Amino acid sequence: MTDEMIMEAVKNGDLQQASLLFERYNKRIYNFLARMTMDRALAEDLTQNVFLRIIKYRNSYREGLRFQSWIYQVARNIFSDHYQMHKNRFSDFVDVEKISEHITERNESEALEEQEKLLERSMAMLSQEQRELLVLTRFQHMKYEDVAVIMDTTVANIKVKVHRAIAKLREHYFELEKI
Amino acid sequence: MNLLSMDSEKLEMLLIDYIDGKLTEAERQQVEQELVRNEKAFRVYEQLKEVIHAIDKAKKLEPSHELKKQFDEFLATEIKASKKEAKTIHFQPAFYRVAAAVALLIIGGGIGFWISKNNDQQQRLAVIEAELRATKTTMMGLMDNQQSASQRLQGINVALTMGSADDEVVKALVKRMNEDPNTNVRLAALDALSKFHTEPQVRKVLLDALSTQKDPMVQIALIQLMVKMKEKSVVNDLQKIVDDSESMKAVKDEAYSGLLILS
Repeated sequence: MTDEMIMEAVKNGDLQQASLLFERYNKRIYNFLARMTMDRALAEDLTQNVFLRIIKYRNSYREGLRFQSWIYQVARNIFSDHYQMHKNRFSDFVDVEKISEHITERNESEALEEQEKLLERSMAMLSQEQRELLVLTRFQHMKYEDVAVIMDTTVANIKVKVHRAIAKLREHYFELEKI
Repeated sequence: MNLLSMDSEKLEMLLIDYIDGKLTEAERQQVEQELVRNEKAFRVYEQLKEVIHAIDKAKKLEPSHELKKQFDEFLATEIKASKKEAKTIHFQPAFYRVAAAVALLIIGGGIGFWISKNNDQQQRLAVIEAELRATKTTMMGLMDNQQSASQRLQGINVALTMGSADDEVVKALVKRMNEDPNTNVRLAALDALSKFHTEPQVRKVLLDALSTQKDPMVQIALIQLMVKMKEKSVVNDLQKIVDDSESMKAVKDEAYSGLLILS
């Protein structure tokens, strides 16, 4: 059964089906929000909110819209709502030095941990839009077409922006590596 | 494609696609040639490869079990809430509510119509009654007019048009029949009374009148009426009139023919 069919069923009152959508999407949405917020606990709360909102506002799901696009749009809205509510943009308060401690677990190999820390810190230095583009296209391997729908822009625009974001990430990564 | 004439930004875009394996064969060969002869480009390429591989190797983050637990709890509450809603909807579908509303409307309308119709009828009855009372008052007034026989006649004519006569009217007519100084009025009164002869009290009055009436014209009319009414109980009274020496001959003849018919 496709995500869309399940969502239609949920919309028509078969709420139990929502647990299927949760199974399919909770990790992806959680990962997206964790990479965006750089805060696992917060990401978990926001992920919960995404699913609550999807169930509460099930009637606003438009038939024919890809469920994946919809749930990511909801996740983006929840993310920006959270930061607007706290009157802070991510870059204003994230302590880059502490990010990796937030997001990585301890029982990992040293080298991998170092590389990952570096990556996280470089990601944190990007603009919110660049970070989002990389999370969607590179971390979550989403097609440019799908990202274009979610971000409400053209595929060509997405492609150019993703390339620039990678270039920027490379800069930050190797600047930090030198330190 | 001349890679040398390209700015570093454009070259970097091309290198990303090269790492991603998205270039055509011709583009790929040109990029590889450039990497061999351009040391700076090679360095950028190496860095890009490391960053992209770092992303690819970045582990998937796992949410805690709390996330699913909380979601399941929320879903259970939401299902419960929606079932409650559904219950009210299922046991009281909008259709039934509409039907009930329509039924109430019809019943209400019916009652309203019935009441208004009843009111209407009562109002009309009241108007008619008022008219009748007015007519009766006028009629009695006319019949009581001592100065004008024609007015009294007019009153009696009004009584003739009435469907039924109450005690008051009968009494007034009897008085006119027995006591009015004018023969025409007395005859008109008898005529009016004969119209109501089927009513018991009128019948009695007429029977009594036969023995007391002294006006020959009225006596004859009365006898004719009794014959018409087939009133056999008046036989004795008729016999008295026949035997009475004071009775006029025309009256006696009428009484005699009446006796022949009735006895």
